[in-house]
Amino acid sequence: MTAWYDSNIILIQSTFVGLLTALSLQVPIRFGVFSFAGVGCYGIGAYTTAIIVIRLGWPAPLAMGAGMLLAAVTGYLLALVLSRLGGLYLGMATIAFDLIVTVVVANGGELTGGPSGLFGAISDVGTVHVALTSLVVVVLLALSERGRFGRRVEAVREDPELAAAMGVEVRHYRQLAFVISALLGACAGGFNVLLRTTIAPTDIGFSLVTLALTMIIVGGSRSWAGAFIGAVIFTWLPSVLEFSGQWQKVIYGVIVALAAIWVPGGLLGVITDAYRSWQRSRRAGGSSDVGPGDGDRGTVSPRAEGTPA
Amino acid sequence: MFEIRDLHVSYGKVTAVRGMTLSAEPGKVTLVLGANGAGKTTTLRSAAGLHKPDSGSVVLDGETITGLPAHKIVKRGLVLVPEGRHVFAPLTVMENLRMGGYTTARGETGAILDRVFEMFPVLKERQDGAAGLLSGGEQQMLAFGRALMAKPKIMMLDEPSMGLAPTMVDTVLSSIRAMADSGIGVLMVEQNAEAGLEVADDVAVVARGEVVFSGTAKEARSNSSVLRAFLGEAALVSES
Repeated sequence: MTAWYDSNIILIQSTFVGLLTALSLQVPIRFGVFSFAGVGCYGIGAYTTAIIVIRLGWPAPLAMGAGMLLAAVTGYLLALVLSRLGGLYLGMATIAFDLIVTVVVANGGELTGGPSGLFGAISDVGTVHVALTSLVVVVLLALSERGRFGRRVEAVREDPELAAAMGVEVRHYRQLAFVISALLGACAGGFNVLLRTTIAPTDIGFSLVTLALTMIIVGGSRSWAGAFIGAVIFTWLPSVLEFSGQWQKVIYGVIVALAAIWVPGGLLGVITDAYRSWQRSRRAGGSSDVGPGDGDRGTVSPRAEGTPA
Repeated sequence: MFEIRDLHVSYGKVTAVRGMTLSAEPGKVTLVLGANGAGKTTTLRSAAGLHKPDSGSVVLDGETITGLPAHKIVKRGLVLVPEGRHVFAPLTVMENLRMGGYTTARGETGAILDRVFEMFPVLKERQDGAAGLLSGGEQQMLAFGRALMAKPKIMMLDEPSMGLAPTMVDTVLSSIRAMADSGIGVLMVEQNAEAGLEVADDVAVVARGEVVFSGTAKEARSNSSVLRAFLGEAALVSES
């Protein structure tokens, strides 16, 4: 076990960073906000953390906190600026934001290290820290999927106008989505730079958007568990696919296309459907004295019917 | 007392509502008739705070609420039931009702919920089912019940009978009457003039963004131009 851990430590750490990055795109989608700004905030978080640790020598948690704060403020401002955009247009605008961050850091001169980036952000941050943070984040997000808050988020996503007519402050929920996304993205970026000690503009570009989006499309966009499944698969898949050499990208593309066409709920959707039908068949076989109404109510969950937003 | 005074609304350069004046009172049903594009829906949406009017005022119980954000307007007691029987389809009936009580204090929701179930027993039966699986009429009841959860003084109903089976139209209309009789003011936009007139106390007819007739339901029935426009020539002949 320890030998396996030692030889795969980078992949294990990357899984958690990938999870946080994927969540930074998934949270706004759950709110019905089609924003990719989480990736730009990943860049802001990573660079801010690196600059503070290298130039000022602050302790790692403070540096990361500063990065997350700056990203959260940026996210909030973006929410204000883009408040009238929705759907694909919002997606395009936020990708533009991600690219702007890349261009700014590539041309930031000495401060950001230009095209070659920054080196030597050394700290004592390790696997335990990123794993624990991910755990806390996952618990909080799992809670946010339930109860009153979860119901409101679902209402805002399903029919924002109707939610507004009910008295829900839709605008505030959208802003919240931007800020949570920014915090998660910056957190992922901060951890990545502290674990790898380097950051370059190529690490935060369009490819990161695709990777994070791939994770949640294949894993499932409805719940944190989907992001987790996706993060595990797409962090470890490259090492499995090494034999395929230059065909790797083609295989990736095929997997994403297949997932988008045939399993819109992602692997998580497949798993929950399978679990439900297993439960149903067990119930049907095991207890014949239960009234038909009882059986139906338990198994036909309304959420299983809808496709993800 | 609820009043919309001289409301002007536009979408970009297109003016949709020019000088609309409507009112509604507790315990009464006010019917708003008008052809497609007359500005009825826009008026209701603007009053509810979903769209900003250019000028004019919306007054509820002496307080001007024009241009307030939607959630504050709901809190004051003015609730819109949008057209097309909008329900949150993937949520259960109960969850939909609880969403309606978003602005209501938690302690009060239980009592209001009981009253809603009393008025619409079908919602109690189907409370754990997905709202999207209800029939059209049941979804409209749910939309009413959900609006009632916000403790409205005035309810604005946009085309409540749209797309419903004829027998369901009667059920829906009698529940609208019942809601008004319980002391709520109802401002109702309706294409089905004949059915709407059966439960209405007052009537306003709008065309091209302004009111062209207003009076009691009885006056509307004896007004030949209203009858011709909304009930057809046959009704005119039989009335006279």
